[in-house]
Amino acid sequence: MPVPRPKRKYVVLAAAACAAVLAVVLSVSAFSSGGGDVTYLDGSTTAFMYDTGHQPLAPDFSGATLTGTPVALSSYRGKVVVLNFWGSWCVACRSEAPTLSVVAEQEQRKGVSFLGVDIQDTNANALAFDKNHDVIYPSVSDPSELVVLKFSSVVPIAATPTTLVIDRTGHIAAMIGGAASYSELTSVLAKVTEAS
Amino acid sequence: MPVNLALGHVSTDFLIAALMIYSLAVLAFAGDFAFGRPKRGAEASRTQVRARAGALATVGASGSPSADSGTAGGGDASVPTSMPPVPLSPLRAIMAAGPWVRAGMALSSAGVLAHAIAVVTRGLAVHRAPWGNMYEFITALTCFAAIFFLWVMVRYRAWALGVFVMGAVVVILGLAETLIYTAAGTLVPALQSYWLSIHVTAMTVATGVFFVAAALGVIYLVVDRYNRRVAAGKAQGGNGIIARLPSLEQLDRLAYRTVVFGFPVWTFGVIAGAIWADEAWGRYWGWDPVETWAFITWVVYAAFLHARATAGWRGRRAHYVQILGFVTLAFNIMVVQVFITGMHSYAGVG
Amino acid sequence: MTDLRPAPEVDDQPAIPVPDATFGVCDWLRWAWRQLTSMRIALILLFLLALGSVPGSMLPQEGTNAAGVAQYYKSHPTLAPLLNHLGMFNVFGAPWFAAIYLLLFASLVGCVVPRTFKLAGSARTLPPRAPRNIGRLPHSATYATSLPPGPALEVSAGMLGGHGFRMRHSGDGERWISAEKGYLREAGNLLFHLSLLGILVSIALGGLFGYKADKLLVAGATFTDTQSDLDEIYPGRLVTDSDFAPFSIKLDSFSASYVQSGPQLGQPSAFNADVSYTTSPGAPVKTDDIQVNSPLSIDGAKVYLIGHGYAPIFKVTSASGQPEYNQAQPFIAGTSGDFLSQGVVKVPDATPEGLGFSGVFVPTAAVSPDGTLESVFPAAANPRVSLIAYGGNLGMNSGPTQSVYELDMAGLKQLAAQPHVLSQGQTWKLPDGKGSITFVGYQQWASFAITHDPGQLPALICGMGALGGLLLSFLVRRRRVFVRVAAAPSGSGSVVRFGGLARTDASGGFEAEFASLAAELRAAHEQQAPQQETGD
Repeated sequence: MPVPRPKRKYVVLAAAACAAVLAVVLSVSAFSSGGGDVTYLDGSTTAFMYDTGHQPLAPDFSGATLTGTPVALSSYRGKVVVLNFWGSWCVACRSEAPTLSVVAEQEQRKGVSFLGVDIQDTNANALAFDKNHDVIYPSVSDPSELVVLKFSSVVPIAATPTTLVIDRTGHIAAMIGGAASYSELTSVLAKVTEAS
Repeated sequence: MPVNLALGHVSTDFLIAALMIYSLAVLAFAGDFAFGRPKRGAEASRTQVRARAGALATVGASGSPSADSGTAGGGDASVPTSMPPVPLSPLRAIMAAGPWVRAGMALSSAGVLAHAIAVVTRGLAVHRAPWGNMYEFITALTCFAAIFFLWVMVRYRAWALGVFVMGAVVVILGLAETLIYTAAGTLVPALQSYWLSIHVTAMTVATGVFFVAAALGVIYLVVDRYNRRVAAGKAQGGNGIIARLPSLEQLDRLAYRTVVFGFPVWTFGVIAGAIWADEAWGRYWGWDPVETWAFITWVVYAAFLHARATAGWRGRRAHYVQILGFVTLAFNIMVVQVFITGMHSYAGVG
Repeated sequence: MTDLRPAPEVDDQPAIPVPDATFGVCDWLRWAWRQLTSMRIALILLFLLALGSVPGSMLPQEGTNAAGVAQYYKSHPTLAPLLNHLGMFNVFGAPWFAAIYLLLFASLVGCVVPRTFKLAGSARTLPPRAPRNIGRLPHSATYATSLPPGPALEVSAGMLGGHGFRMRHSGDGERWISAEKGYLREAGNLLFHLSLLGILVSIALGGLFGYKADKLLVAGATFTDTQSDLDEIYPGRLVTDSDFAPFSIKLDSFSASYVQSGPQLGQPSAFNADVSYTTSPGAPVKTDDIQVNSPLSIDGAKVYLIGHGYAPIFKVTSASGQPEYNQAQPFIAGTSGDFLSQGVVKVPDATPEGLGFSGVFVPTAAVSPDGTLESVFPAAANPRVSLIAYGGNLGMNSGPTQSVYELDMAGLKQLAAQPHVLSQGQTWKLPDGKGSITFVGYQQWASFAITHDPGQLPALICGMGALGGLLLSFLVRRRRVFVRVAAAPSGSGSVVRFGGLARTDASGGFEAEFASLAAELRAAHEQQAPQQETGD
């Protein structure tokens, strides 16, 4: 049974319109977000070094340490800085702590500075943590993540802990999301101290 | 502002009065069945006109010799003048329908008035739209159903249906009064919004209208079943009650028009609810159980509207769909809102 | 036979050919498409859509009630995995549910697109010729007028034109007019269906580019709109860090008022969250009072007050007086409304070993006859806590992320046999030199939902479009009327025959409209009639 001509035209048009709608609804989801200009470490998706010339400038911040001493990031200019965002409540930070203590002791002798940013925490809890884990470097108290907010416009901080390596010119050279491993951190620091 | 308890009592008194007047109205409509005159001539002739209209919707271009082509004779006076009948005014039609109908209509109107006063005074007593919990909701929705049905009875001369629809209103209102009576009180913060008046008003009106449609649908199915039994020789024709009811075609049209009135109101209520949900909860649609069932009801009524345009689904099956729509609505009110925890848990029952 | 009724709107497709052995791939595709776009299949899909939604309201859903899903797994260990496999805990995101609505929308498109062309076509073509026998139409009128046929027809055209009818005039020799009105009905119908399609696209837009997040905030604390600071984030597929507006909000104070007497005793009457906020670091600080029905709008995002509770403040010190813990810890209340709240305190860095407490907070305490703590009012008039103390390894130095509302009991031992009740300011000295815990006081907390949905406005516009389309299609009726004028048999004046019919008359009333049109037409003819003819 032949289908009349105009009908067939409608069918084609209808099919095209339908396909267009489906395309809008479904196909966009095939895209995925991702930034360029970085080199991932060991196939990881949360640890990477910025390529030369693409390192963003670290925003300056100032505040008080857990013991009340004033501190500002700008006062570290000229040194390589390891900035560690952590909290005493965070399991991954607690499991990372022994590694970080070892690396800090070893690298501080080479002139690398370590600074913690203690988030969503109280000073009493954080000081008990520092005492318990023999942490030898200071931390800025940041209970409401105002420091994180400044950085989040520059680097994609999503996990706690997150470790940033800042080079001598104040640019962010690398980011490690989640607990950092000894080899990861030392190899990044070797490259950053060598380059600048 | 504190709740005005005295006014709350006035509201309750008016509601009980409405309930009693409604009961008398139902008795009057029943009296019309028992003692009233048989089917009115005017109504019968209207049915005939309709039947003719249906049969002649398609006109043959080369049909039989046309009735008006051979008007022989001289002078304008010989041309038969026929003008379409101007419908009788509603009041005259009621007066012509006999004492029982007159009493039923008068009592229904008085009942609706008392009912409306009860709803309004409740609103004044609590300083807000008077549908913040299940008891208030049922009271208001039956009020809207009664007002709407009163209008249907006047507009479509459907007082033969009064005993059934007003009867159902009496039963539901009576159950609400005895089982889930809730004293006048203030609302939880979640309901303190002008969207309560907009969203719940629309939902209440639509529920009242759908209630009338469902009652018409049930009557349709009863008449349809009786007609088929008569056709099959299983029942004797000439049942007095059935003969007084409107024809199947009239019932079908009445129910359809009722749904056509209720569906946009329900749609508006759902949209208003979405706007309120966005204002209160941060999303306009979240598949909360009550939202989900409002959606199901909407889909089923949409299916009814489409079923009437689908071969094989007109008539009886379409009315099953329509009644199913009201069942999902009633299930939402009586089961989902009361027993399933969600963001709409405001019923305040039990 | 000519069908005079305005074009039917549905169900007019020719019969779908029955598949047979000669069917090729194209035939089968065409057959499937025509099946899909038939009203019968659309009806079945509508029923499936309604039926498919039911489990989504009966079973707990992951998106809205994750705890309920976990509970269901516990109580139905064999059934739950099976249901999960069928997508029953995420019905509205399940592939089979998507299949139903996508097929339904495909069917809708297949139905609406041809009808759009048909409407455009019918707006260009004129109504059909007037029937020879107008008296057979559902509604008709006949009367004589002293006007000659020519002018009588002109008067008719003037009257119908004045009512906005589209007219077709007869050629030479015949005297008739056919007129049609109500094209907006079909336009409304199409608008309604297209708007539904628009709503689906808007929802997809919100799902791809929007986000929703939750944050619990103790009074006095601040949070920032960053992925690490928010408690739970449900981002759309295409959301990136830069989509989060860089605002921060401080909860200055939270207050809840309750009904103090009468049958509604303890029912909340008002919640107010006083906040101060900045839209970006360094921007000026503004203040707002967030209430349940009054969210705060910042920079394309909205912040809603969705919950509240108490956060008792505890101080833990070692046996030597060294502070080890000092924090307001949010406790979570059940659904009963009395704000008897539960929570835990974790002190992983306590000496000589880690300490954990599981506790109950009651805002207004009363001791029941059997000695247990009861809450009699939701406001904090007489706050008490009851604590059970544990010592050992809290399991926080390695392993998976822990909930802040539960203790990992694997490495813990209970320190005292009985729970210990503290009122504000009291200290419990733990046995065996494990230190002490002080119930310092309490703070209130409020929880907020932060949402950003770019599909919101398009969805609203489409919703309004759907409603407008619905009203048009229900209120407007498509109807045709016909006028035929013939010379009167007597030779002077003419006979006017007027008829009409409506295709669909959803809200009724064509009968009355026709009667009034007929009366108006007759009056127009009488007014124009030459006066001297009347005495004839």
